[in-house]
Amino acid sequence: MTVVRATPATWHPDDIDHAVRLLAATPTHEGRDPDLLRQWALTATEFGASLPATPCHARIVQLQGGLDEGLLARYTSRPAPTLTLFTDSVQLAERVIAENGWRDWYPPGSVRAAALAHEAVHAQLHHGPHRARLKRALGHVVLRFGRRRVYGHVAGTEEIAAHAYAQVTCGLGRSPLVLTTALSEHLNLPPLTHSDRREN
Amino acid sequence: MGVIILLVMAAGVAAMLTRKIPTAFALVLLAVAIAVLAGAPATGKNSVLDTVVQEGAPMLAATMIAILLGSWLGRLLDETGIAGTLVRKIVEFGGDRPVVVALGVLAVSTLVGTVTGSAPAAMLAGIVGIPAMIAVGIPKTTAAGTILMGIAAGMPFELPIWQFFSTALELPVETVREFMLKLFPFALTAAVAFVLVETRRRGVEHTWSLRTAPPKSSQRKRLGDAPWYALLTPVIPLVLALGFELAIIPSLLAGILYAVLTTTRPGQISKRLLRTFYSGVEVAAPPIALFIAIGMLLAAVKLPGAVDALAPLVKGVSPQNAVLFVIVFTVLVPLCLYRGPLNVFGLGAGIAGVLIAAGIYPAAAVLGLATSYNQVFGVSDPTSTQTVWAAQYAGVTPQQVMVRTLPYVWFVALGGICVTAATSL
Ligand SMILES: [Zn+2]
Repeated sequence: MTVVRATPATWHPDDIDHAVRLLAATPTHEGRDPDLLRQWALTATEFGASLPATPCHARIVQLQGGLDEGLLARYTSRPAPTLTLFTDSVQLAERVIAENGWRDWYPPGSVRAAALAHEAVHAQLHHGPHRARLKRALGHVVLRFGRRRVYGHVAGTEEIAAHAYAQVTCGLGRSPLVLTTALSEHLNLPPLTHSDRREN
Repeated sequence: MGVIILLVMAAGVAAMLTRKIPTAFALVLLAVAIAVLAGAPATGKNSVLDTVVQEGAPMLAATMIAILLGSWLGRLLDETGIAGTLVRKIVEFGGDRPVVVALGVLAVSTLVGTVTGSAPAAMLAGIVGIPAMIAVGIPKTTAAGTILMGIAAGMPFELPIWQFFSTALELPVETVREFMLKLFPFALTAAVAFVLVETRRRGVEHTWSLRTAPPKSSQRKRLGDAPWYALLTPVIPLVLALGFELAIIPSLLAGILYAVLTTTRPGQISKRLLRTFYSGVEVAAPPIALFIAIGMLLAAVKLPGAVDALAPLVKGVSPQNAVLFVIVFTVLVPLCLYRGPLNVFGLGAGIAGVLIAAGIYPAAAVLGLATSYNQVFGVSDPTSTQTVWAAQYAGVTPQQVMVRTLPYVWFVALGGICVTAATSL
């Protein structure tokens, strides 16, 4: 399987670090070999960057309340494919970009464009044929019968592909994950952990 | 006097509803108050201190041990990576099709639900299962509901529950087992229908989340894959108790031994057994507190004075006609929610005791009612720990989970009550 590489020619090592961290925090990857995660992160990034640009056919809805839900955008496939853009989150993102002096990486209006592109990938992977290609590219063999192989799903890689696609199609200097981390820190959101326990 | 006892019970429910007092404490106070109002002497035969407190507290001892062993086995499923491996395999094999992942996690929850109940069961299946489902696009409420519906589908085979109903309702374990076998198809059908219908109705959901991974890995430590034969652990107690009709405590112990022998190097076995036992005790503490209190409540409502006072009142409102029985008790289903009066692990246990002691329904019919209500309570009650945990862990409110799951479990209760009316009334 060859993956056609689009721009940028080399990924910022820090961008890949962000992607590796996202994979490591995804359930089912607890304690997986960091080198394997890095390989998957790279493969998913290249795969996302190689996806053909497709217009998004989903209905677009703009809503407030993204900060409360901790979301920038959301794609839902039912009842009709809908892409929700949280305007308060987008506004905050633009402000954080300006404050951090990241305009070179994320031009004005690029957050909105990136969010649309990101969710378009989810829609595309959900309905289209590309998902099987991603699985083959990742090459995570879960079962072998003689020469036949069954490739497994690698949780979290679609998210990385979506960010990479957005980065390439919107011409961003750095991965949207860098922006996500900055927003998360700005909002002081608790990180994702898998051991929240509560008893009454 | 009966009316005053009912008023005291209502006050107890109010105290539990408003969370003024924890349920277990409220039940103990209720038990003592009922005994005093029923004219029981302080000590001696049918007394407050000897009968209700001293004999009531250990009445459900066998249930407490079963709960403890279930929790112990639950801790082992967690620590040995058995539960995590099951979920991971499901995601790897079915991740492209969210509905397949949800059905797989449902199956794991059902297996886990046969071993242990309540919040520990939800955590076992949900800690990896809920975020895994969300990662493949299952909406949050559906993800939380899948875990709860799965656990409830396993509940008819949860051995500690058999022990509880057997002791509390003074029925042989075989009778409980027989009815549970009839209840199970309803619970399973509802659970599978929940997943199929809800994934079809809500589709998938993918987000760009503002939450990110922690900078340094604060994740759970590597557990590694448990070997395939260790993954059979959850069915071991079930096969022994159901297939070989072995008693409940030895069946659970066999499961514990199988889990540890298939996953642990010989030198580590006793250390791991002891460690997981101790943390199992901690996990089992809330239900054990409840069972001590329920034992006292049962002892109180069975006092001759209480039975004489309550029987005429309860008899007047209890339908004897089969059709009316089904309609009335199906309509009353919501009363087992929000720590309401029909919650089997609350005042409902006392009411069940009254119904039997006063001879209003045969014990088998009360079993049918109680287990049917338990199927609703176990999934939809927004105040019970497993529902609160699953909802919050998925990032939704317990009320959202209740609204989404209630129609399905109400159907289960209707099925169970119909079977009860047809076979035991
Ligand atoms: Zn996404």
